[in-house]
Amino acid sequence: MSVLDSPSNNGCNSIYIHVPFCEKKCTYCDFYSIENTEHIDAFVGDVIAEIALRLQNITQPVQPSTIFFGGGTPTLLTANHIERILHALPTPLANAEITMEANPGTISPEKLSEYRSLGVNRLSIGVQSFNPSELEFLTRIHSREQAIDAVHHARKAGFDNVNIDVMFALPSQTAASLSATLQQVLALGTEHVSAYSLIYEHGTPLFRQMKRGLVIPTPEDVDAELYELVISTLTSAGYRQYEVSNFAHPDKECRHNLAYWHARDHLSVGPSAHGLLNGERYWNHRSLSSWQRLVRMGTLPQANTETLDERETMNEFVFLTLRSDGIPVDQVHRRFGFDVRTALGARLADWIQDDLIADSNGVLRLTSHGYAVCDELTVHVLEACDQAWESSRAGTQTNITATE
Amino acid sequence: MQHFRNFCIIAHIDHGKSTLADRLLERTGRVSAREMTYNQILDDNPLEQERGITIKLHAIQMDYVAKDGQNYKLNLIDTPGHVDFSYEVSRSLSACEGALLVVDATQGVEAQTISNLFMAIDQGLEIIPVINKIDLPAAVTTIETVKQQVMDLIGCKEEDMILASAKSGIGIDEILEAVIQRVPPPTGDPNKPLRALIYDSIFDSYRGVVVNVRVFDGVMKEKDKIRFMNTGYEYELDEVGVLFMSRQRTKVLEAGNVGYFTAAIRRLQDTKVGDTVTHANAPCDESIAGFREVKPMVFSGIYPADSDDFEDLREALGKLTLNDAAITYEPETSSALGFGFRCGFLGLLHMEIVQERLEREFNQTIVTTVPNVRYRVITTKDEELWVDNPSQLPNPTLIADIQEPYIRAQIISPTEYTGAIMKLCIERRGTMVGQSYLSADRVDMTFELPLAEVVFDFYDKLKSNTRGYASLDYEYSDYKSGQLVRMDILLNGEPVDALSSIVHRQKAHEWGKKLCAKLKELIPRQMFEVAIQAAIGSKIIARESISAIRKNVLAKCYGGDISRKRKLIEKQKEGKKRMKQVGRVEIPQEAFLAVLSID
Repeated sequence: MSVLDSPSNNGCNSIYIHVPFCEKKCTYCDFYSIENTEHIDAFVGDVIAEIALRLQNITQPVQPSTIFFGGGTPTLLTANHIERILHALPTPLANAEITMEANPGTISPEKLSEYRSLGVNRLSIGVQSFNPSELEFLTRIHSREQAIDAVHHARKAGFDNVNIDVMFALPSQTAASLSATLQQVLALGTEHVSAYSLIYEHGTPLFRQMKRGLVIPTPEDVDAELYELVISTLTSAGYRQYEVSNFAHPDKECRHNLAYWHARDHLSVGPSAHGLLNGERYWNHRSLSSWQRLVRMGTLPQANTETLDERETMNEFVFLTLRSDGIPVDQVHRRFGFDVRTALGARLADWIQDDLIADSNGVLRLTSHGYAVCDELTVHVLEACDQAWESSRAGTQTNITATE
Repeated sequence: MQHFRNFCIIAHIDHGKSTLADRLLERTGRVSAREMTYNQILDDNPLEQERGITIKLHAIQMDYVAKDGQNYKLNLIDTPGHVDFSYEVSRSLSACEGALLVVDATQGVEAQTISNLFMAIDQGLEIIPVINKIDLPAAVTTIETVKQQVMDLIGCKEEDMILASAKSGIGIDEILEAVIQRVPPPTGDPNKPLRALIYDSIFDSYRGVVVNVRVFDGVMKEKDKIRFMNTGYEYELDEVGVLFMSRQRTKVLEAGNVGYFTAAIRRLQDTKVGDTVTHANAPCDESIAGFREVKPMVFSGIYPADSDDFEDLREALGKLTLNDAAITYEPETSSALGFGFRCGFLGLLHMEIVQERLEREFNQTIVTTVPNVRYRVITTKDEELWVDNPSQLPNPTLIADIQEPYIRAQIISPTEYTGAIMKLCIERRGTMVGQSYLSADRVDMTFELPLAEVVFDFYDKLKSNTRGYASLDYEYSDYKSGQLVRMDILLNGEPVDALSSIVHRQKAHEWGKKLCAKLKELIPRQMFEVAIQAAIGSKIIARESISAIRKNVLAKCYGGDISRKRKLIEKQKEGKKRMKQVGRVEIPQEAFLAVLSID
């Protein structure tokens, strides 16, 4: 808990490496990746160069307590690649969480053992579904059996912290087929499960299929029922929901993602990666060649940056904690100078009454009903927080004038 | 005085009044062809130009050397082009001795033309019929019928009619000559005490109110002390002159002439249209007949979209009344909309104009409630109450009688639409009181209708049911008792005062059903179920419900999703600011005008 609570402004403890390669792009995915895998070697060199550049430019201490290889398909990288990248980074803390995303179609028991021996201690396996026809709809490159094997291989390689990604609200999915997938997840007993409702992201082939009427999105009511099924199945099997789409056994929450959701600094490298350092967010070019060119010129390969003002910082903090493990009331008060409970006033009581929010241990936390309407609640909460924040500032200003 | 001619133009919208006026100005050299680039000079307000109607009156003096070799001064007085302003029309007509009746050769006579024409005939004006647009190809087949209509209407001979095309400049000289020969010169005595009619006034931020007058008797000079006979206000004249394209100072204005004066008058309301101007020391015996206080007929609540802007709105309304004396406003409070104003208007068009001016000229973002009329309520204690806000109607047990204003509507249309018009008017609780045929295929129908049934969409319905051919004119008649009840709308059991309406008992059920259905469309789903009910007193007559949102959450929020999400929330917060809240229910502003979009 002490790690999670550490304030964000005295150091950077999280590092993300984006690996933009896939054997085959899935039709729903909008993360940046390309199918041409010839340049992986060169890419690794460039990542190492970007890390060096970033470390030169950074003004705060970097002590990795979480490292995350995401993608794309990081398991297209060899153990040697991973080793070189890890060497380029500052030495991680002893208890650091080092995660790799893995595609069941690209791993072997040997490869996993090698990763594990390099210090990678958490594996996030992109399964999505254990139903063959759903896997086909999602254009995944692996079979149901490969997915099951992947978890077994991970165990054999010594991974005791494994996540499975699944998806629901797929067009042809029924409560029964989703339930079967979830039962398979439970049978495998991974420490962590991410369950995402399918998003029709702009610019993806799936989005175009929807626009042309070839794919019909799941109606809201059905989506809601499937979400309830996900939550009830996983929570009654001992998982705790700690974010809209994330469930974990006690103390197995993904600490790297919590760093995002607690708005803590993170250093990110690779094309399209987004980082946050000292209140400034930067994002790298979303093109391997542009990114590469800049890195090789010795320039930070970022497309743009934004500096959050205090209100925006407050907004991000509040909505990210709300949609994950709850708004820490004291912390908001300390950092932004207002009381969230007072800000929400009677509405908070209504929401507690309606079983959308729970107020316990100093945290305003969504209930399972609350998670389902999180975005609706968020707007109301932030509206109230803006007002409270403004009047607390007005109050501060008056005090200053008074003392002068 | 023998060389003055005061006249106006009576025409239906689009029949060519403004083009004809432009042509006359051009022909008399008042405007050069070069200045005519912005056509239709008399309509100088952008709103007027857009809508093709005249709201504020104008007058222009022209010099004209007639065929008899003599020099004449012609005062062309414009008239407003909409039924909401019929009182102003009557006042500007009484400033004239003659009128050009302009009728489109392809369209024939329309309702508004007829009512203005009859008003002019009643006031003894000489009518010069002009058949316009004769060079349109379609005129070949229609012109004879139109001529016959005009002859039947005013009892003139065929040779009295001037065939013209204002657009091509045909018949302009004939019109000018006819004005000289047929319109009588003004009568009046410059030696009698001053007697002048106010037919319009406008506010000028440098000089205060500029009053447009027709002098009947006496002489008006700068420095004179004058009195407005109906209001009793007295002022000293600053500047006196005539109106060319702009004001032309002449220091003196004599009997028979038309012109303007200023007198450091700060409030437009002090100069009432129709009032008589006389000298304070030597007043005339009698004021000019026909003056009346213009009373608002249609009311609506106007609220700032953001309740913090209440004071801005008050200021804007204050400024607006500087050049629109007809609007009334007083503060009111609504539980749904907060602080705002109940505003009174001459009619629906006037209301729209005011709303548009508030938004365009004064940058106000406003929420308006559904327009309603003013009801006369007799209580069981025999007290009289005037109610212009439905939510203020007393409890039914305290009401002995409710009366509502009626209008007398004149509708002129091709005969094939008679059935459609009858049906519409009967649906709107109207009764037909007269019908006559202008020609074999044109009918003139008169109905008595409750004004409340006309204020929403009657005119649009009339137009669409007759493919645009019917024309409408109306005048207010009197108050009549009706089976009226107040219908409230409740959201999750809480009444929304701004959505209350007064309706006829027999229509209440259907109306309630439609309104609930419409609100169901307009109110977005919330995190809880919303019950919409229509009620008369404590009796629920219709209901709908809006189911709760079951799921609204973005499944993933990593990296780039975070700032995207923050920006999206920022926009959604803006949207929420524009919502009004009743209890826990958030209502979008369009919902307050829901009634207007019900079929």
